Amino acid sequence: MDPNRVRPTQDSVDELIRSGYAHGFVTEIDSDTVPPGLSEDTIRLISQKKNEPAWMLEWRLKAYRHWLTLEEPAWAHVHHPAIDYQAISYYSAPRKKGDGPNSLDEVDPQLLDAYNKLGIPLEEQKALAGVAVDAVFDSVSVATTFRKNLAEAGVIFCAMSEAVREHPELVRKYLGSVVPHTDNYFACLNSAVFTDGTFVYIPRGVTCPMELSTYFRINEAGTGQFERTLIVAEDNSHVSYLEGCTAPMRDENQLHAAVVELVAMEDAKIKYSTVQNWYPGDEQGRGGIYNFVTKRGDCRGDRSHISWTQVETGSAITWKYPSCILRGNDSVGEFYSVAVTRGQQQADTGTKMIHLGRNTRSTIVSKGISAGNGQNTYRGLVRMAQRAENARNHSQCDSLLIGDQCGAHTFPYIEVRNPTAKVEHEATTSKIGEDQLFYCRQRGLSEENAVSMIVNGFCKEVFNQLPMEFAVEAQKLLNITLEGAVG
Amino acid sequence: MLSIKNLQVDIEGKNILQGLDLDVGAGQVHAIMGPNGSGKSTLSHALAGRDGYEVTGGEMLFDGHDLLALDPEQRAHLGIFLGMQYPVELPGVNNMVFMRESLNAIRRARGEEELDAVAFMQRVRDKARLVDLDEKLLKRSVNAGFSGGEKKRNEILQMAMLEPKLAILDETDSGLDIDALRIIAAGVNALRSPERSIILITHYQRLLDYIEPDYVHVIVGGRIVRSGDKELALELEKKGYGWIEEEAAA
Amino acid sequence: MTTADTRPSWFEQLIMLSGPDSPGQSPAWLDNARAQARKTLAELPVPNRKQENWRYSAVEGLLKNSFHPTAGYVPDPQALDPESLLLPSFETYRLVFANGHYVPQLSSSERLPAGVTLGNLRTALGSDSKWIAGWFGQAAGHTEHLFTALNTALANDGALLHVDENIEVDRPIEMIYLNPGQDDASLIQPRNLVVLEAGARATLVERFIGSGKARYFNNNLTEIGLREGATLAHYRVQDESRNAWHLSSLYLSQAQQSRYRGTTLAFGGAWARTEYNAHFRHEGAECVLNGLYTAGDRQLTDFHLDVQHSVPACISRERFKGILYGKGRAVFDGRILVDRQAQHTDAHLTNDNLMLTRDAEVDTKPQLEIYADDVKCSHGTTVGQLDPEQVFYLRSRGIAASAAHRMLCLGFANEIIDSIELQPLRDYAIHRLAITLNEAVARG
Ligand SMILES: Nc1ncnc2c1ncn2[C@@H]1O[C@H](COP(=O)(O)OP(=O)(O)OP(=O)(O)O)[C@@H](O)[C@H]1O
Ligand SMILES: [Mg+2]
Repeated sequence: MDPNRVRPTQDSVDELIRSGYAHGFVTEIDSDTVPPGLSEDTIRLISQKKNEPAWMLEWRLKAYRHWLTLEEPAWAHVHHPAIDYQAISYYSAPRKKGDGPNSLDEVDPQLLDAYNKLGIPLEEQKALAGVAVDAVFDSVSVATTFRKNLAEAGVIFCAMSEAVREHPELVRKYLGSVVPHTDNYFACLNSAVFTDGTFVYIPRGVTCPMELSTYFRINEAGTGQFERTLIVAEDNSHVSYLEGCTAPMRDENQLHAAVVELVAMEDAKIKYSTVQNWYPGDEQGRGGIYNFVTKRGDCRGDRSHISWTQVETGSAITWKYPSCILRGNDSVGEFYSVAVTRGQQQADTGTKMIHLGRNTRSTIVSKGISAGNGQNTYRGLVRMAQRAENARNHSQCDSLLIGDQCGAHTFPYIEVRNPTAKVEHEATTSKIGEDQLFYCRQRGLSEENAVSMIVNGFCKEVFNQLPMEFAVEAQKLLNITLEGAVG
Repeated sequence: MLSIKNLQVDIEGKNILQGLDLDVGAGQVHAIMGPNGSGKSTLSHALAGRDGYEVTGGEMLFDGHDLLALDPEQRAHLGIFLGMQYPVELPGVNNMVFMRESLNAIRRARGEEELDAVAFMQRVRDKARLVDLDEKLLKRSVNAGFSGGEKKRNEILQMAMLEPKLAILDETDSGLDIDALRIIAAGVNALRSPERSIILITHYQRLLDYIEPDYVHVIVGGRIVRSGDKELALELEKKGYGWIEEEAAA
Repeated sequence: MTTADTRPSWFEQLIMLSGPDSPGQSPAWLDNARAQARKTLAELPVPNRKQENWRYSAVEGLLKNSFHPTAGYVPDPQALDPESLLLPSFETYRLVFANGHYVPQLSSSERLPAGVTLGNLRTALGSDSKWIAGWFGQAAGHTEHLFTALNTALANDGALLHVDENIEVDRPIEMIYLNPGQDDASLIQPRNLVVLEAGARATLVERFIGSGKARYFNNNLTEIGLREGATLAHYRVQDESRNAWHLSSLYLSQAQQSRYRGTTLAFGGAWARTEYNAHFRHEGAECVLNGLYTAGDRQLTDFHLDVQHSVPACISRERFKGILYGKGRAVFDGRILVDRQAQHTDAHLTNDNLMLTRDAEVDTKPQLEIYADDVKCSHGTTVGQLDPEQVFYLRSRGIAASAAHRMLCLGFANEIIDSIELQPLRDYAIHRLAITLNEAVARG
């Protein structure tokens, strides 16, 4: 092409690349953080700080003892220096005045300010959006809005630590029933040290009157976050749950090893949406969150339905496979994912669809976008068990590469034990079409705009699954993440 | 308005346009004809600034601007519109959103106010009616899964929306049913004005029955080998390209 | 770990049993390769299910059996029923091996065009072995794959084909590996080398035939070298005995603009695995792999394809189709790796599986590992049964259910069978598939 053509200079591109992370502030709050290290004593301390009943402590200790026998998994397509589990602080809580807030007014104003910076004005949401928000700051749940309205509908929506005290029978019945502590290394660690999280219980026949939402934030240095979320939807109930995550910019890597368990009984429907924007580290790969998460939904009842939607733009390393066990006949599992890696980010994510019941159905739509030096892996398992009569799966995994230093990988595993089951998997990898770019620019769009438009189009099917406010946010996030990735 | 002098264009090292001259004045309609593979689409892409069409010689001036120094979007901002022979599909990109982005990007570049949602919608509706485009297509992804004719109508709709100064329509008439041909011709004629110029690339006289050109050019082997008025098109319709090719070779 | 104890003994036993079994005249390079491979056997971990490559294909059953090398075996050409080996109206240049031993009496390489060398390794080592040294073990290496090392450690015979520059071989070349069945538990290890010099063209047909219920392990290895612009069409028909273990390891090395087209038909064996390793190190080469496999009761059929693009502008295509019936099991693993430099790669893979019965099993795992951006890569895989609507449609036209099933299965396989460009082989494939389908439909 003509050398006189106007092109963005390398400097301006670099600047755009650096512009990156908008949530990287640290909030100065007085917090109660235990010294680093992991032992039975640490666990006893956590349990004690949370005023837990004895059974909970026993449950944790059992997990811890099992964890000691495990080795960190090495199969994922990611690389990182060894994690020193003794260098992590396993408990950090904003220091509270008295016994903890009873209403938003009692929440530390600095904290509320932090949430406002994250674009989650709790107060405002309370009034406007009709979204009930539970916010987990470092390890503890600090505020749950809308408690009253939900209580009227019979919905329990509270911090996990509170649920342990207030609803022990439910927690004992379901906790670990989907992801047992023996499941994997990080889930086991979480079972031992989890500090808080969210508990949701939707009684039979209830459609949750509003979207439920949790925002997670890692604030303290040297801490890990190990939250635990449990959602139980009884027969014929419905709930939509959203989670969002951010963390400040720090040079060190911080571990986030969460566990999410979903239980859907007969005719129940759970929709779980995530917009994950943990700090990804800088361009050299310094710092950033290790996001090693176990998420699993159990479609226990017939005709139950669990749908995972995730938009993963953050974290230095993401390792997560939101899965569905399709136990009930005619149950439905869905996984819609957008994962973006740039800079030095690595993502190894996907899903498992375990078809056990008759006429079970699953859909997998995965859109991977790699830019910079990002490595993006889809890893998925579809298993049709012998009893899975007439089960169906359709998977579509597409990868987009932006730049020649990144990677996109697709590793589906398909195991079929029933001849009436039908599995279809398709995957493609390419860069953005030159013809598409040209078409957009011919119509007056800048190259950057054209890329963002085409990439958003590429992700459309997934964004369509998100509740409206989240879809808009996700799209913005994607645009910010890709800023300067083109050049 | 547009002045092309001795234009040389290579594709993948192969010389396709071999010294092409063309002057298009304001308000004129030029028809360009020529055998398959003679370089018509190459000319249209080179005008719009597509990567891979390497200009190795000559010049293109548009309203005094050196097109060679400009990116495709900058050319679009000046008012160059290319209706493509094979319009591109953009899966997941909503047609309406796309047109709005496009229109506003051009307006911004010209220092005009962006159209608000209401004004934009009004305009899309009007124009869609003009080219008889099913409104359902507006809600779908740009050209994705459109039939051949629907894509062409969508191109004309975009042209009507953007009101370009120079519209290059590359075989917009191919693949259209008889009614569509008339409708699109009406769309193009509605756009005709003393400030606007149109380059029509076509293989068929019947389009020129509806849109009367001021000039007709024949490209053979990457060069304009003959120019004339609308009578030339009629002659070609009767005699084919053989005689021109022979003359050109001689 | 218990496997750690059994491993050395299993491989060492084979090595010990084989004694100093080396081909009559063993050049130094071969001795070195064999020694190196023996070392590898001692060092590499035994295959087990925890290794990604063996995740779905239990190798334990194989390692539980003891096999013995067939050094002392002398084929009796009369007893081999030569007529039954040949395909009707199939004019070929032919090599026949029985139990891994070359049978000159059944082979026919008269009137070979000048510039074509066709023969067996053992004989060649005695005379002109220089060109062999340049290729032997180059594509396969000695250190990465255990069964490759096993083949190398005991390598003493196999098929050789060399075609000089710009020669086009006028007939297909046929290599038949026969297990006549009288020698149970033999370890058969053909070690083959196929080299086409620049611009040469040839068609090669390999057939593995096992009779009766013979129980043996055929651990064959073929290295294929194609120089610039060479073209090889390579057909492989695996029809081992239903008690046999079979492992084919193929290693391709392709120069610029060379074309390889491989078609594998896998019908036999109790446990049969084919590994294709194609590593593009020169631009503009093309590799097309097609495959059709069937598996019924007590059969496991396994394909592992590893296609690596390390240079720009190469093309790879893989199309594999499987039909499973009875308690048949299929494993498919198809990896496409595109290195950072390999821009303009065009790589596509599909794997489709048809399950005719309740107890059949399929595990399929295509993989894309892509480090270059300007590429077109895709894979697709399906598992399912015959479309009930299609079956119904045929039946409503008066066709019996069993015939309808057969017809639709043939239709499913047709894409692969149709790509066979040798009429006699295509006829054979249809005939052979029909036998399987009769069995399958009767069983189903
Ligand atoms: N990417 C390319 N690589 C090589 N040659 C190309 C490429 N694109 C176009 N060409 C060649 O350039 C020549 C001119 O093509 P062009 O599309 O301009 O023809 P055209 O006059 O528009 O023909 P038609 O009437 O069929 O639309 C043709 O010979 C074509 O094959
Ligand atoms: Mg054209």
